[in-house]
Amino acid sequence: MNCGYGEKLILYFYGEAVESLKADVEGHLSGCAVCRGELAALKAAESRLNLSAAGPSAAVLEAVMSAARAAVTGRRGFSFNWGEALLSGALASLMAVGFIFSGRGAPADLAWNSGVDSGLDSVEYSMYQAQSDMASVSSDWEYKYSALEDEGLRAGIQDEG
Amino acid sequence: MSEELSDSELVAAFKGGDAEALGLLMERHKAAVYGYLLRLTGRADAADDLFQEVFLKLVKNPSAYGEREKLKAWLFTVARNAAMDYFRKEGSRGEVPLEGYDGQPGPADFMASAEPGPAEAFYGKARGARIDAALAALSEDQREVFYLRHYSELSFREIAEQLSLPIGTVLARMSRAAALLRKNLEKDQQ
Repeated sequence: MNCGYGEKLILYFYGEAVESLKADVEGHLSGCAVCRGELAALKAAESRLNLSAAGPSAAVLEAVMSAARAAVTGRRGFSFNWGEALLSGALASLMAVGFIFSGRGAPADLAWNSGVDSGLDSVEYSMYQAQSDMASVSSDWEYKYSALEDEGLRAGIQDEG
Repeated sequence: MSEELSDSELVAAFKGGDAEALGLLMERHKAAVYGYLLRLTGRADAADDLFQEVFLKLVKNPSAYGEREKLKAWLFTVARNAAMDYFRKEGSRGEVPLEGYDGQPGPADFMASAEPGPAEAFYGKARGARIDAALAALSEDQREVFYLRHYSELSFREIAEQLSLPIGTVLARMSRAAALLRKNLEKDQQ
């Protein structure tokens, strides 16, 4: 005999019936032995399943935890931190500038063609020019001094004569 | 770490590098997930393997769990899929009797509490065996819904979503399961 309360009974038993349905089922149960039997069977089956006290083995739990610790360690190793990345970049830039101005590290042909090398050549040329000018002035002064000495010598000879 | 944290908060903590958060999640759900797998497969060793598979999936790719759904629903979806794969490989589906084959220990031997509770004392071991037999007599579809409802405690609407079935189908399977359980248990009493 199908009373038509099968699915309503399920919602009622598992606490998913709204108040009106709950009252309807409770009213029906008093007059339907089949539904009362089904309710008892559900209670018995649920009680039986509740007795299951077993759990996974300790080895399985430990294996999962070992994998969890390894995964966490792995994720830490590959983590990306913008702050650390920017700081690393700034430090690397500073080191590169220091390296260039120290005159080391760049190959000879690269230094030859670099702007730094041109700048150094200009400075060197300026110094060379300054030295040349000084030498020239010094030569002029020595020539003039020598001429004055000659004049003085000639004047002394004339006075003696 | 507080055990009062929600599942989503614990998953976030695990993603953030706290392995113990995963331990708390496993502790929280192990009885339900393992119980479900043990009932589905009927074998303790298979339930162990599948349980490990479920939680390793969360360990390896915690982002696979979409935070919009309940973690419990996700765990049972993964557990069910793992069990289906197991049945495909084994070529059977939950046909192992709970008492085991040929005198070998079966899941029932691993399930019974060391200290019988009031319900166990009331029904007795023979009564328990009759209920196990009545549950085993359910169709695969009926058992699937019945065990999922019991162990996951998801609502029938959530179960329907998980199984991609109309809720009416899920309720009809449960109703037929209840009718069959009554029939088999009353028959045993006669």
